[in-house]
Amino acid sequence: MTLELERNVPDPADETPDGLRSPIDVDPEGRTSLAATAERAPAPWRRVLPWLSVGLAFAVVALVVAWALAPGLFTAQDPYTGVPADKLAPPSAAHWFGTDPTGRDLFTRVVYGARYSLLGGTVAVGVGLVAGTALGVIAGSIGGFLDELLMRVVDVLLSIPGLLLSLSVIILLGFGTTNAAIAVGVTSVAAFARLSRSEVVRVRRTEYVEAAFGSGGRWWSVLLRHVLPNSLTAVLALAALQFGTAVLAISTLGFLGYGAPPPTPEWGLLISEGRSHLATSWWLTTLPGLVVVVVVLSANRISGWISERREGAR
Amino acid sequence: MSRSVRPLAAVAAAVSAVALLAACGSGSAGTGDATDAANGTSDASGDAEAAGDVQTGGELLYLEYQAYDTLYPPASGFYPNGGLIANITDKLVFQDPVTLEFSPWLATDWAMNDDATEYTFNLRPDVTFSDGTPLDAEVVAKNFDLYGTGDPDRGFAVSEQINNYAGSEVVDEDTVIFRFSAPAPGFLQATSANGAGILSSATLDGDADAFAAGNATNVVGTGPFVITDETVGSELVLTAREDYDWAPEESEHQGRAYLDSVRFTVTPEDSVRIGALTSGQADLIRYVQAYDEEQVTSAGLQLFAPQTQGVNNSLSLRFTNEILSDLKVRQALVAGVNTQELVDTVFTENYPAATGVLSHTALGYVDLSDQLAYDPEKAKTLLDEAGWVPGADGIRAKDGKTLTLVASEAKPQPLSRDTLTLISQQLKEIGVDLQILAADSGTYATAMKDPNQVQLYHSMVGRTDLDVIKSQFHSKNRNALLSNDAELDSLLEAVASTPDPQVRLDASAAAQRYLVDNAYVIPLFEEPQVYGAQNYVHGFGWDSIARPKFYDTWLEQ
Amino acid sequence: MTYVASRVLSSLGVLLGAFTLAFVLLQALPGDAVMIRFENPELGLTAEQIAAIRESYGADSGLLAEYWHALSGALGGDLGYSVASGAPVRVLVGEALGSTLLLAGLGFVAAVLLAGLLAFAASLSPFSWLATLLRSLPSLFISVPVFWLGIVLIQLFSFRLGWISVIRPGPVEALILPVLTLAVPISAPLAQVLLRAIDDVRAQPFVAVVRAKGASEPWLLVRNVLRNAALPAMTIAGVLLGELIGGAVVTETVFARFGIGRLTADALNAQDTPVLQAIVIIAAAVFVVVNLAVDLLAPVLDPRLRRRVQA
Repeated sequence: MTLELERNVPDPADETPDGLRSPIDVDPEGRTSLAATAERAPAPWRRVLPWLSVGLAFAVVALVVAWALAPGLFTAQDPYTGVPADKLAPPSAAHWFGTDPTGRDLFTRVVYGARYSLLGGTVAVGVGLVAGTALGVIAGSIGGFLDELLMRVVDVLLSIPGLLLSLSVIILLGFGTTNAAIAVGVTSVAAFARLSRSEVVRVRRTEYVEAAFGSGGRWWSVLLRHVLPNSLTAVLALAALQFGTAVLAISTLGFLGYGAPPPTPEWGLLISEGRSHLATSWWLTTLPGLVVVVVVLSANRISGWISERREGAR
Repeated sequence: MSRSVRPLAAVAAAVSAVALLAACGSGSAGTGDATDAANGTSDASGDAEAAGDVQTGGELLYLEYQAYDTLYPPASGFYPNGGLIANITDKLVFQDPVTLEFSPWLATDWAMNDDATEYTFNLRPDVTFSDGTPLDAEVVAKNFDLYGTGDPDRGFAVSEQINNYAGSEVVDEDTVIFRFSAPAPGFLQATSANGAGILSSATLDGDADAFAAGNATNVVGTGPFVITDETVGSELVLTAREDYDWAPEESEHQGRAYLDSVRFTVTPEDSVRIGALTSGQADLIRYVQAYDEEQVTSAGLQLFAPQTQGVNNSLSLRFTNEILSDLKVRQALVAGVNTQELVDTVFTENYPAATGVLSHTALGYVDLSDQLAYDPEKAKTLLDEAGWVPGADGIRAKDGKTLTLVASEAKPQPLSRDTLTLISQQLKEIGVDLQILAADSGTYATAMKDPNQVQLYHSMVGRTDLDVIKSQFHSKNRNALLSNDAELDSLLEAVASTPDPQVRLDASAAAQRYLVDNAYVIPLFEEPQVYGAQNYVHGFGWDSIARPKFYDTWLEQ
Repeated sequence: MTYVASRVLSSLGVLLGAFTLAFVLLQALPGDAVMIRFENPELGLTAEQIAAIRESYGADSGLLAEYWHALSGALGGDLGYSVASGAPVRVLVGEALGSTLLLAGLGFVAAVLLAGLLAFAASLSPFSWLATLLRSLPSLFISVPVFWLGIVLIQLFSFRLGWISVIRPGPVEALILPVLTLAVPISAPLAQVLLRAIDDVRAQPFVAVVRAKGASEPWLLVRNVLRNAALPAMTIAGVLLGELIGGAVVTETVFARFGIGRLTADALNAQDTPVLQAIVIIAAAVFVVVNLAVDLLAPVLDPRLRRRVQA
């Protein structure tokens, strides 16, 4: 892809490339009202709804973060030791999410698992964010041959199927929550690189940045003071989005047998270990699955909200 | 020559009688499975009549858990391999899966010299391979020369079941002699096992790759079925041979197999296999997980749980590791594992808790349950004595080192992960931190061979000969213990190299006692192979180690 | 013309880069295929026997030599032999590719249809609550783990309702559930692109004019939206290819289908380098070709770009 093309095409690929799961770029509701205002007056609840959903999304994330930080506040049971006699009990007052084949309380495992899954998602996004943004900012700021070369490197990363890439990285690093997260993060490097590069190029061409260069500012100080802050929201939106994607990707690794080692209560592992019991003990895979869906949805909603604010500000 | 059969058969009968007596002596453990498991075939006697006349024809859809990786018979220990080899090859001698007695198959009769260093076999004259070539002494000798000595250049291993092999001599077209450098009393049983399935001369000329996935249709035996179609990694079609007419004398019927074909479909997802059976999409499935057994029975379908009758599913304690080099620590681990709770929680009555190193239906079984009893208080005392003191989190430590051990999760073992998870919970009670190794195959293959990476090795092995204990524990065979214990090796060699049957039984008992006295193993349970089948499937059978056999199987239409 | 030439050249560079990166990565993995295949204790091999087998396979020759061997082989169309099975890689991949292409192709078509249906239904829905609901569906679609979706679909449609057989199904029957499983997550970003395009079109002043002249809204939308959405949708398609392969790994495992996905997972498990190398070449080639096509077609589809490219 040439520079000109990337700058001018509203290119969703710039925001989405990623091996395991292509994320979604913006949230729907906010735009609905924009489009609809042209013809009819929106119902009052439709103006409230987007804010309500953002609030809810933040609440979900806050709750899950609290689980990760202080799981003991939310459950009194042991995530690793169960009562074998109580195995495979359906959800009840004593066991909100039921129990697993060795009698451990599933809700407790989900609460304690938040730590691993959030850490996994954060590390994955961190790897992609740091490595990808560095690549993108260097390419976008310096331009020329280096830009072309780095972007081809990004293409190489994109051209290898993401799942194959992350599985190889996992085998290379060994099994574990952090290593799985790094493996997933590697596949999002390209996405961050492309996005941050196009953002940097966009910001650089705005008049005040050109003016800053014109008045003799050194490129790195201009970069730090003008370019980076202006590119940040777009990157943040992608980061929130990638977070959800990463949690899913890590669970897929668990399904393929490359996840966290047992008995880690990592969410992906819970879903994938419980899947064989779907016909007899539906709660084992369904409830952790729902938790993941809700958290990923919330992350996506927050990502969409960041994008909207950014577009509103522009 | 044919007279010489009798004494040998009598010996076998005596040996199995001893085994059965021992089994009865062990009390009631495992009687629950006796009805299904001990039959050897799903239609014992009454069922066949009840279902009406045998019907010929039709295709049976069989769902297998894993894809096979080679059809080289000595590698038949891996279930998917064995399941195919059992149906496409015949053996010299037939071993009854229940009585464990031997009777003629491809060989009409046989004899062995007094010190079990020379075996003579007379062959049936009318047998042909599916490529049309006849079975003669020449090709039988070629089979055993390969299995007995291997060929590293072509990637072939020596069969773990054939010990002390020296060579063969073709006497005439249908007589062959095998000679051994030392007594090989287990050889007769070896000739009845899948590990010695007879293949055609052309097949044996290939290298290891010619037996690997993708080449199945070129592997030619004399069996009742021929592999006619293969989709690598997912499906195989076994077609019945019209001209098959050399079933074992003991077989329920002679002539061709009742089925026209069997379709082996690899379906790794447990939920899909079981769902396909209960919804009527599959005829027969292997590896019904313990928690799914109820789904099969409550749907009114047939459940078979034949035992593998060998070394029990167990954890081998690698005593060459520094922590486990202390006998007291090993004894504490044995006392700290509650196998009854394991069986009650994770498994069903088809998985009887182990009462010794060997399964209670295995040859030479010795009941050692006294020494294997669950006793957490004794375990704690032993660990205290060994100098491991509990830390703040309950995990013991000594000289700044925590008592952390690693167990290998074994994919072929039923519910290995749940088993180890529960044992980890149990050991935590006595202050031992048991980690479960999860790794990719490359790392796993390396870790398994290193006592400092994997200290508790999860495995089992099935074979209905006294030699089985040597296969599992000898440092030159599977070496589950990563042993350097010369005394253990010599005890095991005595089992495999003593001609006198009674001395062999004693040697096996000595080896079992040695393993338990030294707390080298934690026997967990007696492992069955669990199959689920539709009610219209009749005559489904299995060999002595529970590999499926479709020869007598028929579909009621 | 020079533009085209330089694009082709850099595409080839990407291909070589992918090949090299894959080679380095696979060589760095711990263990190797020979070890994994023969060190299985169930085979009952002793250490000496394994050592002899390793030697006979020539498992340990120089790295650069191996790279050159693999590269020159690949250039000459010789993909080598699978270490795990001994079968020619060309045969293995050939057998797998057809089934996966069918699955992925239909999955993509289904995703496009699903996305289109969703986007237009959301835009034209007379009820705002329905529109809101439909618009939030794509977010839900990508928040569901694919393997879980597949297993749930099988349980529901095959085992509970008995509508579709998953074991030995007919050729059409065999594809319904896997295609659906694959299509759901892929359709989400496409639906988003379409929704965005629809909103953009609706916000443009000319729409009100055309509508005032009496054109029907659906027709208007379809014409203009398709034009506006074609380019981003195509760009996204190039990226989604990689995901189709990832999705195929999961889908083929759940539905017990043989294809590139299953082959990838098995080969990785056995560290069957020649097979993996071939899969990377194919995936990278497809990626490069599709992206090249998108780049070259973009100016044709959008006149604004043509000017810039030529300038």
